[in-house]
Amino acid sequence: MSRLEAKKPSFCKSEPLTSERVRATLCVLKGILTSSYGPSGRLKQLHNGLGGCVCTTSQSSALLANLSVTHPILKILTTSMQNHVSCFSDCGLFTAILCCNLIENVQRIGLMPTTVIKLNKHLLSLCTSYLQSEFCGCRILVDFSSTQTLLCLVRSIVTSKPACMLTRQEIDHISALILRAFLLTIPENTKDCLILGKSIIVPLKGQRVTDSTVLPGILLEISEVQLMKILPIKKSDTFKVALFCASLSGDLSDTGEGTVVVSSGVSLENAVLDQLLNLGRQLVSDHIDLVICQKVVHPSLKQFLSMHRMIAIDRVGAALMEPLSKVTGTQPIGSLGSISPSSYGSVKDLCTEKFGFKHFLHLIPNEATICSLLLCNRNDTAWDELKLTCQTALHVLQLTIKEPSVLLGGGCTETHLAAYIRHKICNEPESILQDDGCTQTELQLLTEAFCSALESVAGSLEHDGGEILTDMKYGHFWSAQPESPSVVDWPDLLSRCGCGLYTSQEELRWSFLKSTRHPFAPQTCLPHEAVGSANNLTLDCFTAKLSGLQVAVETANLILDLSYIIEDKN
Amino acid sequence: MAAAGSAKVALRVAEVLETIVSCCVGPEGRQVLCTKPTGEVLISRDGGCLLEALHLEHPIARMMVACVSSHLRKTGDGAKTFIIFLCHLLRGLHAVTDKEQDSLISKNIQTHRRHWKNCCQWKFISQALLKFQTQVLDYIMGHYLSKHFLSIFSSSTKERTLCRSSLELLLEAYFCGRVGRNNQNFISQLMCDYFFKCMACESGCEEVFELVDDYFIELNVGVTGLPVSDSRIIAGLVLHRDFSVYCPADGDIRIVIVTETIQPPFSTSGSEFILNSEAQFRTSQFWIMERTKAIMKHLQSQNVKLLLSSVKQPDLVIYYAGLNGISVVECLSSEEVSLIQRVVGLSPFVLPHTSLRYEICNTALMNFCKPLILRSKRYVHLGLIGTCSFIPHCIVLCAPVQGLVEQHKSALHGAFKMLRQLFKDLDLNYMLQASDQNYASSLLTYKNSRESTPLPEIVNGSMQSPYQGTVVENKGKLATTQTYLKVYSNFVVPSIELETHIPRSIPKVTPTDTYQTDETLRYLSLAKTRIVDDSEPFMESNSANSTTENTRIEISYENLQVTEIAGRGSMLAVREKSLEMCTSHGYCFSSIPAGCVLPAGGNFEFLLHYYLLNYAKKCHQSEETMVSVIIANALLGIPKILYKSKKGNYSFPQIYVRTLHAIQTHQPMVSSQTGLESVASKYQLLTSVLQCLTKILTIDLVINIKRQPQEVYDQDSEEEV
Repeated sequence: MSRLEAKKPSFCKSEPLTSERVRATLCVLKGILTSSYGPSGRLKQLHNGLGGCVCTTSQSSALLANLSVTHPILKILTTSMQNHVSCFSDCGLFTAILCCNLIENVQRIGLMPTTVIKLNKHLLSLCTSYLQSEFCGCRILVDFSSTQTLLCLVRSIVTSKPACMLTRQEIDHISALILRAFLLTIPENTKDCLILGKSIIVPLKGQRVTDSTVLPGILLEISEVQLMKILPIKKSDTFKVALFCASLSGDLSDTGEGTVVVSSGVSLENAVLDQLLNLGRQLVSDHIDLVICQKVVHPSLKQFLSMHRMIAIDRVGAALMEPLSKVTGTQPIGSLGSISPSSYGSVKDLCTEKFGFKHFLHLIPNEATICSLLLCNRNDTAWDELKLTCQTALHVLQLTIKEPSVLLGGGCTETHLAAYIRHKICNEPESILQDDGCTQTELQLLTEAFCSALESVAGSLEHDGGEILTDMKYGHFWSAQPESPSVVDWPDLLSRCGCGLYTSQEELRWSFLKSTRHPFAPQTCLPHEAVGSANNLTLDCFTAKLSGLQVAVETANLILDLSYIIEDKN
Repeated sequence: MAAAGSAKVALRVAEVLETIVSCCVGPEGRQVLCTKPTGEVLISRDGGCLLEALHLEHPIARMMVACVSSHLRKTGDGAKTFIIFLCHLLRGLHAVTDKEQDSLISKNIQTHRRHWKNCCQWKFISQALLKFQTQVLDYIMGHYLSKHFLSIFSSSTKERTLCRSSLELLLEAYFCGRVGRNNQNFISQLMCDYFFKCMACESGCEEVFELVDDYFIELNVGVTGLPVSDSRIIAGLVLHRDFSVYCPADGDIRIVIVTETIQPPFSTSGSEFILNSEAQFRTSQFWIMERTKAIMKHLQSQNVKLLLSSVKQPDLVIYYAGLNGISVVECLSSEEVSLIQRVVGLSPFVLPHTSLRYEICNTALMNFCKPLILRSKRYVHLGLIGTCSFIPHCIVLCAPVQGLVEQHKSALHGAFKMLRQLFKDLDLNYMLQASDQNYASSLLTYKNSRESTPLPEIVNGSMQSPYQGTVVENKGKLATTQTYLKVYSNFVVPSIELETHIPRSIPKVTPTDTYQTDETLRYLSLAKTRIVDDSEPFMESNSANSTTENTRIEISYENLQVTEIAGRGSMLAVREKSLEMCTSHGYCFSSIPAGCVLPAGGNFEFLLHYYLLNYAKKCHQSEETMVSVIIANALLGIPKILYKSKKGNYSFPQIYVRTLHAIQTHQPMVSSQTGLESVASKYQLLTSVLQCLTKILTIDLVINIKRQPQEVYDQDSEEEV
């Protein structure tokens, strides 16, 4: 019986951003995000009081996925960030913090939302065109002839995830592994377009991080019982492989929409089993060495195959099918009858290996872009975090191949960009004022809000109460030890800027980031030799950061533009 | 509980809605966030969407929303303007009647009598409004406003060619009211590019609008997590799924569509397959396998490289497709299949039952077929070659959140609807004529449907639930008034030109016609009272009015119901007669040809305001003057909101004075906004609002029933079972 209830009227609220509750919740969210940002960020432990698993993290993807927000405005903000992270994997916290900062700063100055949105858009386009321009002072073109830049990029990503609990040595080891795994996915001879392979992350918990390794090909986990059944593998040049996507369990396939009447005494099971054994005989006559099936293999067929010195692996699952067919060069077989010889594949070598307490069958390909990254970490939560980090790093490397440039990290891009925008607006405000009909004061107020939002993202990297400064030449970000004595000897207190490009030994002048200072033109056009000499830079993914910047400003604009919230409470 | 359904209540309701809606109007409008019970978050500036999301409880508010949504179904635009205009009209009426009440009604009349008195006054006004809508409005539109109309087509040649710059202006003005202010230009450019990329030839633009409107969901892909500026147009068609098997192919690519599984099943529905031996089972399986293999081989020999299937194909088919170098896409939706069929003119491939010798004729050529990766999700990208005037292209809509993607999607869809409306009926020279006839036919069908319902059931219905009864009654009343006025609309408009007062003759004509068609004597008398009642407003005596109104109230609801049905039946005949009589009458005086536009930013409102005031000055009848003035002033409500935030030279009073001066001196009007808007949609909006208003005014009582709505549904469901 259908029950139809009258719909309750919705709850309508005007000017949502002005309410104290929204401001307070936004502030709490911002606090959570900023405190997790960067290499020295504080970890968050997430658990539900009902005995679910505990997650220790400082990554935006894990944080935002587990936080349950109820207010619609926060929901918009968090989903926007999650969407960004699922596209780019990186720069989630940067985007979220920038968005929160922008909303907060704009609210403080109290301009009309329409003006704010218009000007924000202009400032954003200034930023993006500067970052993409040739004379940009915070962008480095990637030199693919050496791994230096890419390794720096990976190391920066691994370093910025403190919840992985890695030592410096382990960071180096993991970074090198990730880069190797990535390089293994690049095909050796490419034609016009580059199709990257895949790195499969194989879990191995409870081992030392330094036991992690990268292997070409695929590792198939097998149980000890299975291992016993596998007879010592005979040596040969190649191993012939058959990969099945159809079930070999002997179940009757779909019989159509009508009815099938079976006379008594006729056993379909026997008929199907006969068919399977025929298939087995065909495989034997085709000299197959390894049979892999996505679904279940009938025990009798398994028995038959092992009698004929064939290795049968079943239930590999749909996720592994594509890499398997790539590694072996087979076509997944969907037929139990005649199999075309062209759909068999081969591997170069086949061996059983033991890592930790797990046994694997290792398929070594002739030439393929699939590799396995065997990832170890001490406990579950740290492993989960490390896995996420590896995925992020691999994704960032892919993005970097597409768009071969990186941005300076460690807060330097943010402060540099803020200095550039300030200077630009101060010197040539006409371009914006012309077509928008806003006043000079409005523009200056908003520029200040925008730039300080950027700068405070950089400022959130410092968690230990140290001083945060910027130099007046490059506009880079510097942080000093806390409780430093009087402000005289900056060159001695500071060593390197956030990204590690410049040392304090140059003739520089510093200023506190929070203080007001005269707009200056930061030096553009990064000198080539400076980049070449520095070998331990902190770098950020260009594509992810650029898009993060855009998404943050767009989301902030969207939230500032809201005049009503209609909540359907049915 | 009963509450007075007066205009006062309606005004209160409309004012609340206006405050919500007015914040989203125009280029300066802001966004509204709607959350759904499912947790979805929607961002919207669309008036219709907001009104739906509010789930209003007040019956009058619900009626308004129903009127708005029926208007939206017709035109796809103007929900916000609808509410604002309605609110201003109610406000104007309220101000006028307040004054009149003071002068007309002496204090000693009892309060309930005063209520009924008010109601009769509202009804009187509503009839004047209807009269205005059917007679005066068209006249003014045709005679005065048409001078100012611009066309979206470039007028240099005889043939109509669509002017890109004016289309851009039109779209800009449209998106100003629909999407967030930082994306307006971008989205309107995107839409314009899309349209011109899709259009194969100038003459086919209507077909393009129609196709895009019908298959809009299939023609775009939403991607979240990217900035809006990453949205783009890609050539070809994108299917929202991945290849089941992909074999790279180039050169001559042919496709086929299948709607059934290629592998023959053991048994078809309705048949029985008897297995007598294991050998039989084996041979049939073997046959199935060989058959599938043969079909796929055959497809390959015909150069087919892609198989599109609306159903899931078995593993066997996928395997053999892969072996033969045929890519497969499965589980296409019926809309996708019909879109492909329409674009390339391809009908589904029917499996041959006997030999596989002959050629397959149901194939189509294609430029390319490859996977497309958007935000790590894989899609199928087909380079179809269009055979109709539509060149397939897809829009990839990017935004940080799904809500924004949805907003842009619905805005784009609405824009295509709007354009489709604007371009409709190429050969139509006289917009009014068409709308008139449509109106008449819809009225007729409405009547027919009502009449076909057996009479006793309606009476029962009204007794069972008095609330329903009132609604029906009011509707009926409205319908009668409408028909009544409609009958003479064709007479009266030319008569205005002659400056004579034909309305005086109306009461004479009506009764004779009614008597002719009436059948039963019992109904006759009732119908008579009703009709006399209706014709009352045309006599300009208020005192007589009140007495008849009182007699009417004494008739019970059931009786009224009967009366009206009888009355309507008789009216229908009259309507048909008069229609025959004046089909040849004066259609030439009013026309809104397809593609008519006016500059956006309140120009239409200013113009109509000016001409209505002028008309009102010349008018002899007081109620006509009153209605014209009220409408003229209410029209200003929209530009008032548009210029609310502007200061100095662009403030509303300044603009108002300047524009009126420009109209008087026949100079081109100044507008602070660039952009164009469709005249036809504005006109339709105006008539919809006036209809809604008359509907509201004719309600005299809202009766609240304390009964669960579910009981009705329970009955229904039991019947179904």
